[in-house]
Amino acid sequence: MSNLINFTIDGKAVTAKKGETILTVARREGIYIPTMCYISKTTPCASCRMCVVEAEGVEGFVLSCNTPPTNGIAITTNTQALENERTNIMKLYDVNHPLECGVCDKSGECDLQNKTLEFNVSKQNFSARDQHRKIENWGLISYDPALCILCEKCVHVCNEVIGDDAIDLQFGGYKSKVIPKNSDTLDCTYCGECIAVCPVGALISTNFKYSANAWELTRVPATCAHCSGGCSLEYETRHTGISSKDNSIYRVKNNFEFSSLCGAGRFGFGFDNKTTKNPDAFARAFDAIVNAKAIRFSSMITNEEALLLQRLKESLGIKLYNEDARKYALFMEAYASISGKKHHSATLEAVKQADAVIVIGSMIATDNPAVRYAMTTAAKHNGAKIIYAHPIEDALMQNTITQFLKYEVGTEEGVLALIAKYLLADCELGSDEKAFFDALDDGYLSAESNIGEEELSLMMKSLMRTKNRVLVVGNDLIAHKEAKNIAKLVAVIEKYSDISVLVVPRDVNTLGVSLTCKLDCDDNSLENVVGYNEKGSFVIASLAGADLATPALNQQEGTFVSIDNRVIPTNAALAFDGYELHDLAKELGVGKQNTIDFTKELPQESGFKALEFDVLENFLAPLGEDVRGYMLDQVEVAMDGSLDELDALPEFNGTIIYNVNPVLQFNAYTNIASQLERDTTLRGSAQFGAAARISDGDQVEISFGDKTFVRTFKQEESLKGTVALNPTFDLEGNMESYRFQKSKIVRVNHE
Amino acid sequence: MSKVYFSTWNGEFINNINKPQDQWEESAYNLPAQYDDHRESKAFIGWDGVAIFNADVDVIRLATEYAAQYQVYSEACGRCAPGRWGGRILYDMLDKIARGEGELSDMDHLKEISQSMQITSKCEIGKTVPNPILDIMTHFEDEFLTCINEKKASKHYDATINYIAKITAPCTDACPAHVDIPGYIEGVRDLRFDDSLMATRQTMPLAHTCGRVCPHPCESACRRTNLDEPISIMELKRLGADYETDHGFGFFHPLEKKPSIGKKVAVIGAGPAGLTTAYYLALEGIDVDVYEELPVLGGEVAVGVPEYRMPIDKYNKDIDCVKDLGVNFIVNSKVTADMMRQFENDYDAVMVATGTRISKKVYCDNERAEIKGYWGAIDFLDKVNLFEKYGYTISKEEQEENLLTTDYVDLTGKTVVCVGGGFTSMDVVRCSIRANAKKVYMIYRRDEKTIIGNTTYEEYHEAVEEGVEFLFHSAVAEMRDEDNILKSLLIDKFELVPDPNGGRAQLLKVEGASYEIEADYLVPAVSQSADLKLLPSEWEIEMTSWATIKTNGKDYMTSRKGIFASGDCEYGPMTIVNAVGQAKRAASVMARYVQTGEVSLSDDEIMEDHLRKLRVYDKKEKIKGWLPGLPREVSVKLDVDDRKTNNKEVNLGFTQEEALSEADRCMRCYYIAMTAV
Repeated sequence: MSNLINFTIDGKAVTAKKGETILTVARREGIYIPTMCYISKTTPCASCRMCVVEAEGVEGFVLSCNTPPTNGIAITTNTQALENERTNIMKLYDVNHPLECGVCDKSGECDLQNKTLEFNVSKQNFSARDQHRKIENWGLISYDPALCILCEKCVHVCNEVIGDDAIDLQFGGYKSKVIPKNSDTLDCTYCGECIAVCPVGALISTNFKYSANAWELTRVPATCAHCSGGCSLEYETRHTGISSKDNSIYRVKNNFEFSSLCGAGRFGFGFDNKTTKNPDAFARAFDAIVNAKAIRFSSMITNEEALLLQRLKESLGIKLYNEDARKYALFMEAYASISGKKHHSATLEAVKQADAVIVIGSMIATDNPAVRYAMTTAAKHNGAKIIYAHPIEDALMQNTITQFLKYEVGTEEGVLALIAKYLLADCELGSDEKAFFDALDDGYLSAESNIGEEELSLMMKSLMRTKNRVLVVGNDLIAHKEAKNIAKLVAVIEKYSDISVLVVPRDVNTLGVSLTCKLDCDDNSLENVVGYNEKGSFVIASLAGADLATPALNQQEGTFVSIDNRVIPTNAALAFDGYELHDLAKELGVGKQNTIDFTKELPQESGFKALEFDVLENFLAPLGEDVRGYMLDQVEVAMDGSLDELDALPEFNGTIIYNVNPVLQFNAYTNIASQLERDTTLRGSAQFGAAARISDGDQVEISFGDKTFVRTFKQEESLKGTVALNPTFDLEGNMESYRFQKSKIVRVNHE
Repeated sequence: MSKVYFSTWNGEFINNINKPQDQWEESAYNLPAQYDDHRESKAFIGWDGVAIFNADVDVIRLATEYAAQYQVYSEACGRCAPGRWGGRILYDMLDKIARGEGELSDMDHLKEISQSMQITSKCEIGKTVPNPILDIMTHFEDEFLTCINEKKASKHYDATINYIAKITAPCTDACPAHVDIPGYIEGVRDLRFDDSLMATRQTMPLAHTCGRVCPHPCESACRRTNLDEPISIMELKRLGADYETDHGFGFFHPLEKKPSIGKKVAVIGAGPAGLTTAYYLALEGIDVDVYEELPVLGGEVAVGVPEYRMPIDKYNKDIDCVKDLGVNFIVNSKVTADMMRQFENDYDAVMVATGTRISKKVYCDNERAEIKGYWGAIDFLDKVNLFEKYGYTISKEEQEENLLTTDYVDLTGKTVVCVGGGFTSMDVVRCSIRANAKKVYMIYRRDEKTIIGNTTYEEYHEAVEEGVEFLFHSAVAEMRDEDNILKSLLIDKFELVPDPNGGRAQLLKVEGASYEIEADYLVPAVSQSADLKLLPSEWEIEMTSWATIKTNGKDYMTSRKGIFASGDCEYGPMTIVNAVGQAKRAASVMARYVQTGEVSLSDDEIMEDHLRKLRVYDKKEKIKGWLPGLPREVSVKLDVDDRKTNNKEVNLGFTQEEALSEADRCMRCYYIAMTAV
């Protein structure tokens, strides 16, 4: 039987695939059907009833948003009778809707305004007794029930795409409203998607409220500069006052119809750097570089600047340090030695389409919200089995995860070997791999890692009927002592099964840097190192306290390589009056006219294309296809690697901390964004507190490696186990080492 | 049926206005003219029309209150624009007229808004609420015009009248447990699986179970059938339950457990009825002790229904959900009459839910229990399931009784003949296949169509696939043994002779067609009866003519005060969902009884019974506003070769894609009915 359904819309012959509705086909074919509650990325809310159509031979109107077509049916979308009912619905929507368009944040881009005008509703035939409704302030998000049209988009998005499931519709007919789910106040990750999808001014940004009208703002398409998700966004800017020429970012918006943003992306836009040209500092910077042995830099950088640094390395003969990107490159090199491919095979879209995802080595909800949202989508829409392997349970992921594999800290290599053995049990393996798995001491690995046969069998049982599977590999594997062998195990899984792999880069452009620069091992032994957004004897940075101030990522144009292996352009939302790294490069003889002149020179041996920056698009197509920039070409690599026999697994005893950021925080830039909550506490369970002999509220001194710092200990009910969570966004220096650290923790006060 | 003053119910038009009461025409429907044993109804109004039982009814207020009730009910509204605002406008305008402040133009606006609601509302409740209101406006227009023109309030605007409303749906009405089916399907459609499960658990704690082994009478009352095919209602129940289990959540109870009220109830039997009683009593803050004769919990669903149909790990989740409320279970405890006497003192009420666990005889010649190979279905399934699900082995003595050589049921080389035709017999034959029997026969007096009607198409079809041979129109005439060991059976053949007068066809024996088949086992699975020795004889508890405990089928109290009965020991062998429905109602009655000493029904329950009598589903109704021809999804079943030698679950359930597409077919046929008392 064919999966294609042939039918007509307004006389036009069209074809639907299985799973498509009349509305989705109409939209694809450019036929307009009005909606108020439909949003492409969720299941139909089916609350507005505007999208009714007529079907030949069917009495009454059919809802197009949730009805799949049947073969041969003739659909009509625009009769007078339909127009009348749609107009009546608009009249109902307008009943008692406050006439405050003059001050409402949504005015000018409001669906209710637009449709009221579209349907020419100029008077009200109906009325109902008005009711008093209280405006709610839920922190970053405010809600005005009087403006709410109860389309349910916010509720659907929060549950089906984000996964917070933090809001609910309180049914009550005319009194219905949006409420925090199972809580007195909003308890969520503050992604703000509810604000984005709200078609009216009911859910709004508390801080943006009444600060600007939609039509006064200039939109700058860009790419989020907080993690490797590569989320598309628009910075909206405006002058800051009548007498001021300065622009500032007023808010961030996204194409919510198809993509999503986390709270850091949406609210954490205030990290731009302000300065004026300081020629003295510039001269000192020039000298510093000329005399430097190395430049140490972070992955919060564009590909163009990364290439510029590589050129400096080549011309000055200095070293380039970036441990984060270097570790990623080493991991991918080992991976490629088995898989034969330079780039990992999966994308966020593949995760969204998956019916099974195995995540290992990441607290993914905070490490990379884009991956989390893709997993939520898969879990909710496809019923995907989500296997989450990590030493720490994450309450944020509970409604997504179907199996939690809790392993012992440090045993990642053993865990992955066991998982691989089970996943590949029925596969035709090469002789080397077969020998490797035959030689595995399952008993030992299970005992050390705490992952038993029963759990692995359960995993296989739950994967039984799955077809689209993705393995998501987190930073704990990349930064692991045995990263090379782990990477090869990952590649073996990919090679012999239908599972595709996503290796999550830690920072915004870890991936781009790893493909652009030849990095040197940073053992912290050199004295004379210039830091670019990193520590050094001379610091060039877009952060406070730098010896030379440079623009932040929302003040630069250039490209990033996202987790999807997509080269995506970003643009400068705000001007920067000081010097850029490129100005130094020009002085040092490796410069061009503009930084983006480097775009077309990005290394093709890494998969980049010789394309000018200005030809790169930066938008999502009308049906949601990502047409931003371009996808890296896959690069074939010699398959000369082989698995190494496993050594004894490491043991971690005592007080262990895990370096991971809380919700809304990623780095030094989110740290200075004024709207974002800054939770700098060490968070742990009661069990951890008992083991470390500290209690809630204590000031504690934490030390590991060469680092020592003081934090407040916060005991959290939702946490279990003996590992505490230590934020890194407010700490100096690169935290690129394995994120679990045995630490000394001492109470420093006795309050 | 009922005498009415005026009725437009379901398209009828009865108008006795201005006629003397003794000349009133009767309605063709079971309308609730008598609300309960001491109150008459004034009027009944619902999705299908309005019925008025006396001439003095204030019809304007009736319409107003109906619109108001529509506003009140949370399940009914808040989900679509026409319903939400339309409902409010209906109420405001009707009330304006009823107060004496209406204008002529309001009548037009009412009609206009009604039409929009009828055409575009999300669910049937929004589409149908205007129906009786428009009926009233049409047939009692004078009363409206009087109020409007004379600016006066309607005749009983300020009188105290009880308006009792109830939300229902055809499927909900047909479900013995009255599960909020549109609610749980909506939860699936909206991907709010927790909401889905909580909707189910309002009246049905066994979501995993009834998502698998329910004969789903609801699907025979699904309005979608009028359009194309019924929704696969039963299987959609699994999604909420699986969500809870897969994600390791605690338990989504439909409401928070109330603090203890210091009352105690004993429940005898931990099957579906016992578990359900315990669950809803515990939610009400009542302490419950459940006594179970077997070493395991779950009753016949645990030891009767086989693993391949109802995996025990899933059933145990349902049982854990009951345990989660602090219910106390006492296993290996067969309750005796003495204990019952004691319970009467120790507890505030007792629920007898002991099921029917005695296999009835087939009534053939030489049918003697001493013959080895004669093995009652209940005991047979006990032995199979206690081993397969829990690992309980069979003692030497019992092995010998049943001609076994292993400590579990291994039928290698044996021929099994089962007499039955219901679910129990299906379980026997399919378990026999899995126990490696050489040959398995099912003897049934009637035909294929009837056996499918008694069970399900899937059950029958799967049994045939697995190799069971069905002998229709047959009955065992005689057991033939050698030294008390079964050797063969004499089988009579019957034929169905149509009644020339158009009555029910008669089964007549075909003379000379009898034949003999070899048999090692004869398993009678004809029916089961209740073992009620636990009831003290001096209590003289009233019994039904089929030897089960008698109640009025509404409050489930036996003839002895404080002693309740539900499930198979009350009804006779029936379905899980029937037991759940009875027990849920009984628990509600008991919760009131232990506090007040009164046996009563709530208004909601009275309305539930009225609607059941009236019947909500109308198979002749023409459906409007839905595109026909969307096929019903069918879940994947394990291939016959992959299943017949093991206990793997046969029905793999819907994939998410199938479930969502099936859920989208649901038309959300909520209705609201209201009685004025």
